[in-house]
Amino acid sequence: MKVTAQPAADSLTLLLDGELDASSAIVLDTELAKPEILTYRKVLVDCAKLSYISSAGLGVFISHLQPLQDKDVKLVFFNMQEKVFNVFEILGLDALMTIVPTQAEAVAA
Amino acid sequence: MAGWPGWVTLVAQGTLAASAFLYARNQPLILYGQDFVGLLRRLVLGPGALALVCLVLFGLGRLVAYQQPSQEPVVFAITHTLSLGLFIIFLAQVNYAWRALVYFKSASNLRRRWQLLELLLGTTLLLQLLPLPVPSVLVLPVLVLLGLFGVYLSGTQRWVAYLTHKQKWQVIGYQSAILAAMLLFLQYFRLTGTVATLLSPAPQHAFLLLTAFFAVFYSLMGLLVTFFNLPTAGVFEQRRAEIVSLQRLTQIIQRGQTAAEIYQTLLESAEQTVQADAAGLLLLPSAVPNDKPGHSTYFHGLDATRIAAVVAFVEAQTGDQEFVLNNLASQPGWPAELPYGSLVVLPLRGLQHHYGKLFLLKTEVPGFDDDDIGVLTTFTSQTVLSLENLQLVADSLSNQRTQEELRIAAQVQDSLIPKNLPTDDWFDISTHSLAAKEMGGDFYDFLLLPGRRLAVLIGDVSGKGVTAAFHMAQMKGIFHALMQENPLAKNEREQFPLPSRFMNQANTALAHCLEPSSFITSSLYIIDYEQGGFMFARAGHCPTLYYHAMREEVSYFVSAGLGLGILRRGGYERHINNQFYDYGPGDVMVLYTDGIVEARGTDGSEFGEERLKALLERCYYLEAHEIKAIIMADFNQFTAGCPVHDDQTMLVIKFKTAQPALNS
Repeated sequence: MKVTAQPAADSLTLLLDGELDASSAIVLDTELAKPEILTYRKVLVDCAKLSYISSAGLGVFISHLQPLQDKDVKLVFFNMQEKVFNVFEILGLDALMTIVPTQAEAVAA
Repeated sequence: MAGWPGWVTLVAQGTLAASAFLYARNQPLILYGQDFVGLLRRLVLGPGALALVCLVLFGLGRLVAYQQPSQEPVVFAITHTLSLGLFIIFLAQVNYAWRALVYFKSASNLRRRWQLLELLLGTTLLLQLLPLPVPSVLVLPVLVLLGLFGVYLSGTQRWVAYLTHKQKWQVIGYQSAILAAMLLFLQYFRLTGTVATLLSPAPQHAFLLLTAFFAVFYSLMGLLVTFFNLPTAGVFEQRRAEIVSLQRLTQIIQRGQTAAEIYQTLLESAEQTVQADAAGLLLLPSAVPNDKPGHSTYFHGLDATRIAAVVAFVEAQTGDQEFVLNNLASQPGWPAELPYGSLVVLPLRGLQHHYGKLFLLKTEVPGFDDDDIGVLTTFTSQTVLSLENLQLVADSLSNQRTQEELRIAAQVQDSLIPKNLPTDDWFDISTHSLAAKEMGGDFYDFLLLPGRRLAVLIGDVSGKGVTAAFHMAQMKGIFHALMQENPLAKNEREQFPLPSRFMNQANTALAHCLEPSSFITSSLYIIDYEQGGFMFARAGHCPTLYYHAMREEVSYFVSAGLGLGILRRGGYERHINNQFYDYGPGDVMVLYTDGIVEARGTDGSEFGEERLKALLERCYYLEAHEIKAIIMADFNQFTAGCPVHDDQTMLVIKFKTAQPALNS
């Protein structure tokens, strides 16, 4: 699992590469726990190369959902593979988080 | 005086010799361990003293002969016979003491040779009794050969090597005393043997001669070997001390001693073995024994001011490597006022840990040679090994305790999983559950409600192990607390919370105790037999697989619903709803957790929902336990050889016609 952060003017794009499981969840959590995250207007998560997400991985997003909302930071997922989207959908997270097909839509969201 | 025939005397003497030797041969253990000095001391003080008795008898005989010359032959015969008896006893004791020494650490073939010598000597004793005229031409070579055999056996002096320097001197003393006693006897017989008044027939010359020869020769050899071993005794002692020290180090751990004692033993052993004048052990903070906090240094032979100076030098001048200085005086930085000439520093280092360093000081220049360094290195390696073993023992003990506690916790958790499944004539249930670790986060429960209704709960706490198990127990508690009859209910349907209401209340209850990154997925079914339908809510849990008998169709229940513990500040009720479904006899419901569908096979692919669906399509018509068996058989085949990563739970519920029509 590799997490690459690409900061832009008012948004931060996180590129996830690999399987997000209990061990790699820590890497992502460290990234999302950085205080400067809350200074962006939007955090875009590029899931193109995210091949698997475990409940521990989902837990990282869930635990940061509320703090981000409190600071009006929007969390947007895009380029999600169908299998990964299914996991979000079964848990009901698709109703809670913004998941869009493409980067353009994510930027516009 | 010759009142009886000569052979009587011969037989009497032969019997005496034979019994004295047999007695000595069969006496119990005379060598205790390696107490050679004790053996020789007992030999000198016991049988050796007989020589003095012989001397006293000789004196008495002379006295009597002087005062009453007429009685002289009788007195002489008595004293001579007694002396001969004493000599035989002495020889027997000495020879078998030597046997104990020959046998010491000897091989079995040497023992057989000794027994051969015994046999041959016994034969000479017998030959003497037989009235056969054996020509001396034949006898002499045999006697010489036997003598040589004794000489050969006298070469076996292994025991001398086990004596310390002090013991060697003691042995030399005792051996000399034994030889003196022997000479005393021999001198007596040499003097009296020529006396014309000798009345008794010739004693067992060959036997006594040979045994006396062996006794003297072995004693003499032992004395010489011991004597010439004196100069090397120190080396042997040092080697033995090294071995003993190493044994002490290795045995410490078996006696359950502590790291502090290991350090102390290392310091003492090292100092003694290389005969250093001072020694010290500087430990790293991480290696300081827990039971002796603050004990980061151990010293021996150094006072406080010297400690400070030496430690400062060692810390400043030596790194983590082995370090030898045999000319301290010319070493820059060395405090000249200290009276030491040589220093050696050795690291205490294991594969993973670095414990500290050991240093030793000697006044001599050069003080430490390669041998010393070799021994010291062995000591430090053994110490590190002992320390690591100690750590391993401690770790394994604490591990054992943890395992035991986990086992108890697993038992407690297991008691939370329903063992007695509800039974009624309109349904049939079969369950499977397996935790990936000692404890799991999967749960399920049943409750028979009044009015032929059945509540079925299944769920999965995110994560595994102890934390998940706690939340699973909480969830079970919540289930039983919420599924209580409400006495204020206006109608029967409101007596128990609806599934969506249950989920909402559970979400509120969990909001305060789940850690932020944990959540729970769950499904609750309330099946009503009388109405032929069920109501359910799915809180983010895996969709239920369902076989609809009327439509002959297998499908997943697709519905929206958010997991528990995700929204904690209200608004959850908007994300959960109730679903209604009519069921008929023959319908099959398969509830499961993601540990089933996400389990991976050897090729890395997931078991998957499609495979599960296809399985039910093949076996829906069977009984619940058969359906479960078929699914689990396929599942186990699919995941064979792969580790269980997640908890697995599966419930199979089959609906039946209430009254089986077979017999009616």
